[in-house]
Amino acid sequence: MPDFNVRADSVNVEQIMDQIRARIREKRGVDYTEDQIRELASVKLEKFLDARGVRSDLLDQFKRAQVAQAPPAPPNYRFEEDTLFEAHRGPVRFIRRLLQPLLKLMFNPGPLIQALNIQSQLNTLNAQQETARRGLDQLHFEVLHNLVLETTRMGIEVKNLKMRVESLTSRLEFNERRARALESVVVYKPADTSDAAQAPPRSGPGPQPEQRPRQQDRRGDMRDRDRGRPPQEPRQPPPMPVPQGDAGTEIAPVAAASAQPATSDTPGVPEGPGQRSRRRRRRRGRRGGGSVAAVMGGAGAAAAPPAVAALPPDDGPDEPDDVDPVDTDFSSLIDSSTSSGFREEPSPAAASAVEPAGISAAPDDPAPAAAPLPPGWDEPSTRETTGPSEGSEHRPSPGPERSDEE
Amino acid sequence: MKLAVVVQRYGQAINGGAELHARYIAEHLARHAEVEVLTTCASDYVTWKNELPAGVETVNGIRVRRFRVKRERNPLTFGRLSTQVFDTPHRLAEELAWLDAEGPTSSSLVSYLRRHAAGYDFCIFFSYRYYHAYHGIRAAASRAILVPTAERDSAIGLSLFKPIFQGVRALMYNSPEEREMIQALAGNEHVPSVVVGVGSQVPPNPQPSRFRQKFKVNGPFAVYVGRIDENKGCKELFDFFQSYVRDTSGKLTLVLIGNSVLPVPEHPRIKHLGFLDDTDKFDAMAAADMLIMPSYFESLSMVALEAWALGKPVLANARCDVLKGQSIRSNAGLFYDGRSEFVEALLAIEQNRWLANSLGRNGREFFREHYDWPVVVRKYLDVIEKLRQSPAEGTLAPLPGWFARRSLICPAASEVVKALPSGPVLKFEAGVPRPAVSTPPPPPPRAAMPSADRGRPPQRSFRGGSSHQRGPDRRRGGPPRRPGNR
Repeated sequence: MPDFNVRADSVNVEQIMDQIRARIREKRGVDYTEDQIRELASVKLEKFLDARGVRSDLLDQFKRAQVAQAPPAPPNYRFEEDTLFEAHRGPVRFIRRLLQPLLKLMFNPGPLIQALNIQSQLNTLNAQQETARRGLDQLHFEVLHNLVLETTRMGIEVKNLKMRVESLTSRLEFNERRARALESVVVYKPADTSDAAQAPPRSGPGPQPEQRPRQQDRRGDMRDRDRGRPPQEPRQPPPMPVPQGDAGTEIAPVAAASAQPATSDTPGVPEGPGQRSRRRRRRRGRRGGGSVAAVMGGAGAAAAPPAVAALPPDDGPDEPDDVDPVDTDFSSLIDSSTSSGFREEPSPAAASAVEPAGISAAPDDPAPAAAPLPPGWDEPSTRETTGPSEGSEHRPSPGPERSDEE
Repeated sequence: MKLAVVVQRYGQAINGGAELHARYIAEHLARHAEVEVLTTCASDYVTWKNELPAGVETVNGIRVRRFRVKRERNPLTFGRLSTQVFDTPHRLAEELAWLDAEGPTSSSLVSYLRRHAAGYDFCIFFSYRYYHAYHGIRAAASRAILVPTAERDSAIGLSLFKPIFQGVRALMYNSPEEREMIQALAGNEHVPSVVVGVGSQVPPNPQPSRFRQKFKVNGPFAVYVGRIDENKGCKELFDFFQSYVRDTSGKLTLVLIGNSVLPVPEHPRIKHLGFLDDTDKFDAMAAADMLIMPSYFESLSMVALEAWALGKPVLANARCDVLKGQSIRSNAGLFYDGRSEFVEALLAIEQNRWLANSLGRNGREFFREHYDWPVVVRKYLDVIEKLRQSPAEGTLAPLPGWFARRSLICPAASEVVKALPSGPVLKFEAGVPRPAVSTPPPPPPRAAMPSADRGRPPQRSFRGGSSHQRGPDRRRGGPPRRPGNR
């Protein structure tokens, strides 16, 4: 309920009523006073109604009924006590009145007068009822018209509300995605970096140590894209001293990743759940879309398929998320996080972690155009279920779609 | 001083608006003058059947002289004549026939007045539209003070009343709207008049909890007091209130007090308690959150005044000029014109306790300033005192002759009423200071007052001054205004 702008010592009811009317206007959009409503009701709605929009033929029937109903007023008469003896000539009237007692001596005109008088009243009543009924018909007609008008107005309002609901839904979705992005950033960074720094390398040729550099490459790629230019050259990290202590160990994989070129799609670093979901979303939005080569650009992208092809098939369960290295929706978020927390110095451990066999030469080696593809590479929707997740990243899909995203 | 109060019905069991008004006035004036009530033997305003014995009796210490009604009302004849004079051009004779048909046709009362009017200083007539007032004023014109209790209905447009409004010694209006209407109709600005209204016997300490316990009413509620009738706007009230219940989260219940001539809808939040005595009625009003007055036509809503006296806000129908005007002048009530305004105004009062309290406080102050009994009685006494000091100037115009009465010269009354100005009057009668019993007397002025002014009541606008502010003359101790000054 609104707070009315009143003071205890100076309540002005007219102002309050004005506020109430304004509130009604806010609620209803257009406010009609009673007079306006009466005026509307008195107007023939054909003037502002689209009759074609009214599918019912009731209106026509009503119209016909209105035209047909114009009977002449039923005949009536006025019969009072002295009607029998009235005359338009004065002398005659006088004589009749004079002889009235004599007439009454002959017979009793009372019942006759009474009966005719009652009949006259009945006629009057009947005429009044007929008039009232006609008025009621007219009222029905106008009520029907008003209903049609209100229905039309409500239809428009419903349409507006639908549009509003759609708008709100899209905003809600955007907010959800944004929230997920934030969650992934918050959850992923510390846990991932510490894991990468402290977890021992897997016994097998697992992809975990290699995932982080690839992720970091993506960040670098996105930073480049945000600046309006595609990533062309792998960045060379500045020489940094080896960090001592926890902080240095936590950021080591990230720093190592940033030290890697953009095309270092080597497996090895485990991914956080947020990252997986992001990838899933990206893949959903880009099913059959651009290739990694186009995304990464340059020679590094072309070098990816052989790298994947070289992966052993028993690398463990496939990560179906590892499809798309680019997240256009959250680039700004990742950029900001990178700028704030990921420009750290690389550590030797991290550097060693991102150099698995068979991939170290990838950044500079152009991809052989006739490299043999494993079976199923022509089908973008088909995921690798046995190989490492990176294998699916390097589907040889054409590049132009990547440029669309940029 | 001897006064006669002439009213169509009188008795403790008679609770009609004008009749109750007359009884209150008679009983309060009886403390200052010898008051005799002249009335009929009827107690039913529809039939005017003689149900009470003729002669003299005492009611609440007031001497009451009753006269028999010559004939009961014939509804058919009355209805036919009403249609004729209200809706069509007609003759004055037909208006007189309408007045006879309306009643109460007590020629003995009129004859008594004609013979004994000189025995009274003044005769205060109530309700202009009845036989006793019209013919009684003609019988005692030089002593007649009229309390018209006029509403904006078709009867006020009849031609036969115009000379009455012009020929009485003074008019005691119930509201500024009534005064504006009658002055526009009759052009009687020269007749002394004052907006008085009527007080009410509000008990000093009503018991809201007693009402809630007795009638099992829980939670907040709005109350309507009066006859439950379509003419009083109750049908619309039911409709609007059900909208409020249906469309909002409001928690009010509607409690109806009064006899019903209209079916009350079956709804868990509409409670009809029937007719209650004054104690229960005031308990109910004290327990209520607000009073709703849905009536379209009111001369003065005593119930609204009682609610204000109890510090309760009022929600009134804006189509009633008097109620709307009172709400605006008092700043003690809201008013609605239509369903949405009703709902929103109801919610505003319900959910803003601060607003409700402010309105109630203003209402109490408004009542105390204008309708408290000392103020009302003071106004009556002042008018009578003024009239005693000034001789009767004009005389009542005689009835037209036989031929003139039968000339088709009278317009339809409803058309006349339509042409009258409408809307609330936003200025009130100049305030009358409360007597010393209620407020301490002002300190005596340093300058010596003229001897003529000594002992007089403080000056106020006698003829209905149009300013709400206190007169500068009175505040400065200046000379009193003359009757006729506005």
